[in-house]
Amino acid sequence: MIRIAAVGDVHVDKDVVGRYRPALEELPDRADALLVAGDLTRHGTVEEARCFAKEFGGLAVPVVVVLGNHDHQSDQQDQVTEVLQDSGITVLEGTATVLEINGHRLGIAGSKGFGGGFAGACASNFGEREMKDFVGTTERYAAALREALHSVEADALVALTHYAPVPETLVGEPLEIYAFLGCYQLGQAIDSAPASLALHGHAHHGSERGRTPGGVPVRNVAHPVIKQAYNVYQLLSGEIESSLTTVG
Amino acid sequence: MTNDIDLEAEIQRLLTEHDRIAEQGITVQRREHSIVLGGEVESAQRRDEICRQITTRFPEVEITCDIGITRAQAPSEVEEIS
Repeated sequence: MIRIAAVGDVHVDKDVVGRYRPALEELPDRADALLVAGDLTRHGTVEEARCFAKEFGGLAVPVVVVLGNHDHQSDQQDQVTEVLQDSGITVLEGTATVLEINGHRLGIAGSKGFGGGFAGACASNFGEREMKDFVGTTERYAAALREALHSVEADALVALTHYAPVPETLVGEPLEIYAFLGCYQLGQAIDSAPASLALHGHAHHGSERGRTPGGVPVRNVAHPVIKQAYNVYQLLSGEIESSLTTVG
Repeated sequence: MTNDIDLEAEIQRLLTEHDRIAEQGITVQRREHSIVLGGEVESAQRRDEICRQITTRFPEVEITCDIGITRAQAPSEVEEIS
């Protein structure tokens, strides 16, 4: 059995430091790893990254993250990544990591992802250079996720993105902005691999649960959606050993 | 109350692009005598700053603030994925 804690869109800055910490300190009793689905900061500054590292670093469980669009706002994503990695946090972008947990190999493949839209309402690689750049970015991030997912062998494989791979977990958001919240190419990448679970954030008004066309469970863990410090998902189920109640 | 038909758009861009706010998850709904702000943010300071900046930019607009602070307690349940 593996238990994964997950949250996204925590947007940490000085004013948030300390809010999550009491719940995060309980993690070793509740989960084996913490995954954060992007938008770690408000503006993607080094100072905010240090705040995130202070709040989410130094935990007794491994912490694995992808960046979100907010983390790119100041064009300091490389320095942000460096601050996080220096704090022992694993940052994925077109890469994967494997954690040995309870005798199982948990693979986590991550990419920020990008918008682009979904079946029947997606952008095409056509027309102005700006539109082709937009769709090119969509395709580049999806290809990076696909490659990361195929780069590891694991007993359970989790896809971690910021943008959504399916429209179901966007329900609650205005239809007009779906194309800025995710893209079907991420879903295709996830379906191309033996993924057990896909986690994303970004859609604050979206819905928690969906599935890819190929049947992989998708969870939107944006903080305003889950309304608690993190959710806990159980994979490779066996005997339940902690005090948490199993639902679903 | 302004009659500016683009008011909601201007407020949403202000909330996203203002360097002291950077919030994309705030809803803006026009009522007869005010606009209602919804959604959730990470701190009371952020909620208050949103109202302050809108009032500064649009002093004629009456604001009703329904913005909540997202709770950050530990969960009591686990979901089994199958």
